Amino acid sequence: MIYLIDHQDSFTFNLVHLLSNYDDVFVSNYFEIDDIKIARSNLIVFSSGPGTPSNYPKTSYIYKKFKGKKKILGICLGFQQILYNEKGRIIRQDKIYHGHQSKIRVLKSSILFKANQSFKVGRYHSLKLKEPYYSKETLITMRCEETRVAMAIENKKDKIYGFQFHPESFLTKNGKYIIQKIISA
Amino acid sequence: MKKDYYLEKLYNSKKPLIIYKVRNGYDLFTDFSEKIILHKKNIDNFFKKVKKLKKLKPSNKFCNMYIGFFGYQLLCNLINVKVSRQKNFQFPMGIFYKPETVVKIRKNITIRSSLRNFRNLFDNKIFNQTKILSPFKINIDFDRYRNIFNKFLINLREGKTYQIKICTKYKNKSTIDPVSMFWKLMKTNASPESFMIKDKNYCIVSCSPETLIEKKGKFITTKPIAGTLRKTKNINIRKAHYFFKNNIKETKEHNMIVDLERSDLSKICKYNTVKISKMKYVEEYRHLYHYVSEIRGKLKENVTTKDIITAMMPGGSVIGCPKISTLNLLNQQEKESRNIYTGSFGYINSELDMRFNNIIRTIINFKGVSEIAVASGVVIDSSAKKEFNENYIKAKSLINLFR
Repeated sequence: MIYLIDHQDSFTFNLVHLLSNYDDVFVSNYFEIDDIKIARSNLIVFSSGPGTPSNYPKTSYIYKKFKGKKKILGICLGFQQILYNEKGRIIRQDKIYHGHQSKIRVLKSSILFKANQSFKVGRYHSLKLKEPYYSKETLITMRCEETRVAMAIENKKDKIYGFQFHPESFLTKNGKYIIQKIISA
Repeated sequence: MKKDYYLEKLYNSKKPLIIYKVRNGYDLFTDFSEKIILHKKNIDNFFKKVKKLKKLKPSNKFCNMYIGFFGYQLLCNLINVKVSRQKNFQFPMGIFYKPETVVKIRKNITIRSSLRNFRNLFDNKIFNQTKILSPFKINIDFDRYRNIFNKFLINLREGKTYQIKICTKYKNKSTIDPVSMFWKLMKTNASPESFMIKDKNYCIVSCSPETLIEKKGKFITTKPIAGTLRKTKNINIRKAHYFFKNNIKETKEHNMIVDLERSDLSKICKYNTVKISKMKYVEEYRHLYHYVSEIRGKLKENVTTKDIITAMMPGGSVIGCPKISTLNLLNQQEKESRNIYTGSFGYINSELDMRFNNIIRTIINFKGVSEIAVASGVVIDSSAKKEFNENYIKAKSLINLFR
């Protein structure tokens, strides 16, 4: 079962439908996390949502509790949530991307995706990872072709993955392929 | 001729009535056997009543329906979003009627009624005419608007919202003759979701353009509008399409609403059935062009009417995105109740099929005050002056009806 924490975004159920191609998905509101169900799940997904990672301490708690024990995937805010807990700083960006389609490219650091592969993806974010960012485990694996902003992370050892863009958006051309890679990782 | 005579008499009578635009004409509803004034506590009862419609006699099928509206505040309550104390003029949070007489106004007029004596009408001697008793005033001037605008821009930069609609209101003291005002409006602007309600103590005249929910059997469709272009001599529908396609701000705003509506439908639809059936096309109106998409899905088994209403309302395209966080920001900011504005008008019938709109471009007259609310979207590339002016353009065609 996939357990999805909904940070009350208006895109969450697109993600639910996408994930449901692979397994049963249980969705809970951020305020009503079911401890038993989440312990039984084999993939925990942090949804996108408004605000910044420090607004969601419970998600940080879940992350720390299950890091290394379960596969974790973060989308948009969820991606930032993972980095925030891995000593990354999340800051405002000059140019804001809401409903924007961008080209992104896979870096050599990626294990799931072929280096240099490029995707057209949908973006909805005001904030971004402050760089330079160094981590031994959490590697930046995709970047925006134009602005070089970090677009994906992979932590192979703990099976933790994140995307700054929205694989479930209709603006993302290969969303299904991207999610499939995470499921089979 | 006789039938027209009935309509003329009906318009001049005291009887409450509703006129609703349909694809090839208008439906008129009257002789209401029930009027349900909705509030927080009876809303679940209302949905129970709706469910019971199914059991009614098939001979009365044509009027087995509830028609009316949900106000903005009620819709917020339904999804557990708080509305802080606001100035309101005690207007009901929602009203639904059960009609017994239905008149289909097409090329020909057909009248069906479950009542025998529906033709007995009495002339209303003290009939209201449209009269302005004080000029229109705006509730937020540009300086205040700019302050709110800048505040929301910071919220956008912080990621608390991606798109938010600031509501301004124009008000005057006046009386209205809603029927003639509605037909006057339909001559210039027969938007697909237009409607009129005339009741004893209030009336509403609307040329709303946007279908929020159309449910037929297992299928549900929504048609969000995001993007407006004023018509000029030099623009045709092809050029309008070219404009929207190449305007990054309009395109991004539209994309956001398409993803939002897909997600709202996905709450109540079967996996992998939610599809964009018509992507980004232009609809032409008398004074403007709209950028529209159509999204469709197949409902899950056991989805209730309430599930559908709470999943879809209030409509994302008139609120902003993401819905909950944006509603909270709006409700903290707005000191005056939106009443019906960005609520939803429509019907539910005995098959539990329904059609509902987003209430915008609407005049409401209650207790001798007419109110026109308008809003335009703040996204990261908007300018305060432009959006403020766009609000006025939106209100102007309705204000002109008072002349």
